[in-house]
Amino acid sequence: MVWVRRIGLRLASLLAVLLALTILLFFLQEVAHFDPVAATLGANASPEAIAAERARLGLDAPVLQRYFIYLGGLLHGDLGTSVRTRHPVAQDIGQFFPASAELVLFAYVLALVLAVAFAASSVLRWPGGAVGRGVMFLLAAAPSFLLGIVGVIVFYSRLGWFPGAGRLGDASQLTDPTGFMTIDALLAGRLDLFGDALHHLLLPALALAVGPALAIGRVLRSALEATTGAEFIKTAQVKGLGEGAILRRHVIRNSLPAPLAMAGLYLGYMFAGVVVVERVFTWPGLGLYMFNSLLKADFQAVAGSILVLGVIYVTSNAIVDVLQTVADPRISFD
Amino acid sequence: MSAAAKAKTPAEGQAQSQATTSGTNVAPTNPNPKPRWHFGHPHLAGGRGLNWFCVSLFGVITLVAVLAQHLAQYDPVQPAGKAKLPIGSADHLLGTDHIGRDLLSRIIIGLQTSWLVALAIVALSLVAGTVVGVIAGTVGGWVDKVLMRFTEVFQSLPTLLVAMAVAMALGHGIKNTMIAILVVWWPYYARIIRGEVRAIASRPHVEAARQAGASWPRVMLFHIIPGMVPTAIITASLDVGSTVLTLATLSFMGLGREVPFPELGADSANTLDQLSTAWWIPVLPGMAVMVLTLVANLTGDAVRRLLAGRR
Repeated sequence: MVWVRRIGLRLASLLAVLLALTILLFFLQEVAHFDPVAATLGANASPEAIAAERARLGLDAPVLQRYFIYLGGLLHGDLGTSVRTRHPVAQDIGQFFPASAELVLFAYVLALVLAVAFAASSVLRWPGGAVGRGVMFLLAAAPSFLLGIVGVIVFYSRLGWFPGAGRLGDASQLTDPTGFMTIDALLAGRLDLFGDALHHLLLPALALAVGPALAIGRVLRSALEATTGAEFIKTAQVKGLGEGAILRRHVIRNSLPAPLAMAGLYLGYMFAGVVVVERVFTWPGLGLYMFNSLLKADFQAVAGSILVLGVIYVTSNAIVDVLQTVADPRISFD
Repeated sequence: MSAAAKAKTPAEGQAQSQATTSGTNVAPTNPNPKPRWHFGHPHLAGGRGLNWFCVSLFGVITLVAVLAQHLAQYDPVQPAGKAKLPIGSADHLLGTDHIGRDLLSRIIIGLQTSWLVALAIVALSLVAGTVVGVIAGTVGGWVDKVLMRFTEVFQSLPTLLVAMAVAMALGHGIKNTMIAILVVWWPYYARIIRGEVRAIASRPHVEAARQAGASWPRVMLFHIIPGMVPTAIITASLDVGSTVLTLATLSFMGLGREVPFPELGADSANTLDQLSTAWWIPVLPGMAVMVLTLVANLTGDAVRRLLAGRR
């Protein structure tokens, strides 16, 4: 039962961070002297219309009251209106989010696979492993936009192996129900479109995955090295336990906590890094939306997107923390 | 950590394990006398020469960054030759961009911004983090708890996104971007310094100083802070790489210096349409960022190896 209390504490801390996020974004809005009325009504509105809109939005109230109005709006799903698209930000986010989610999840799986390969090639001394690891070390020092750009040049312009932009050759074919082109293609029974979607996913996902893969791989490698060097492994060997059993029952379970924490952290980082990759590959997701909104100083859109992505980041970290402590009760949150 | 001291290279490590397991004539009872995994840390291979080489690379880059105005051959903002000249052209080592500006000069000046601003961010975050960390670590009690909760909240927020939001709110310009990154950068240092301070404060020599009658400020100044310097240097040097990357990414999104002025990330973003015809124009600034990050990472590792014994 002690972990019920721990989960409760973690949830409380999660709420505190979420609240802090909203306070921060509200504070930034104040600092930026952003005027939502100009956003919705335009530059040529009459003074009466402006005054009416200000009264409606409660903009002349004191700061604290305005914050609670803002918070209340957030809880109702009101993230403001985009100056650029003239739609409610929440609607824009709903439209663009599935594309980013698909890209990030695919990149995440790829990163985990690469991380395991990195760690295994080191610990198990795979031939040529050092070369592969050296390449990964170099690639991880590259900014993700460079990886994307070089990927487009090499694999699209020169070799023509992979497409250089977009999610699908002919995007009008799939829209529902999930917004994930891969899943939608499978649901519609169109294997050709499924392959095409994967084809489009691979390059941007790789660009996004390399950095996290190296970071997670390094932590996994040092955890594996620390575990395999531990005394209890020698005991198991002396006991006569075979390699496979040692790996399964002792090494893997004891090596997992640190890389798992790293993996959880990087899922969140990926949601932030997706902005750059989407720009390079013209991937129509939330990142591209944020990028274009930043260019036009569309504050509500950027703030709303950051809020959504921030909530996902913070919540996924909290879930990883809870899972960690459930898996290994010796771990505390500090 | 003793295993690390014994094996300097992978070859030595393998030779060692082979010597210990197959040196005698005892029949093995374990069906796997030589497991597939080996102990030791071959990735710490190198030696003192390599460490100082990395540190000197760091120095070279810093020198280039400081002297950039004198090292750039052409004015980075004015067209200097024919447009889209490729790498290796006669007067332009790295070619020219679509307007005809010399790319080598643009990269050198852009490097100045990326490197020096990153170093400034790390230094300032270190100072801010040290102040908070030392206070939290030495005073302890509720002050410590409050400060740690505060840093925890900051650390839980996604750094790149919050930096974007702050930079957008403050407006364009490199100074605002620097402030934006500082806001999210310092909590990392505060936590590490505070942990180190607590470790040092519990050591006998601090207790002895207190018993000899030293006041807390004196203890902080002469005992705790000097003891915490190696960790601080290691943490800072390991962090320069990610600072350079974050700065370049924000610059890619338009949050950096104003347009005609060269900056590595922005130069890449603004010339993406040249990808198919003159690929080196967007690629070269990105490669410059990569080189900076590599040097920073290698130096961080080298500093860690150099100072590891002193902690």
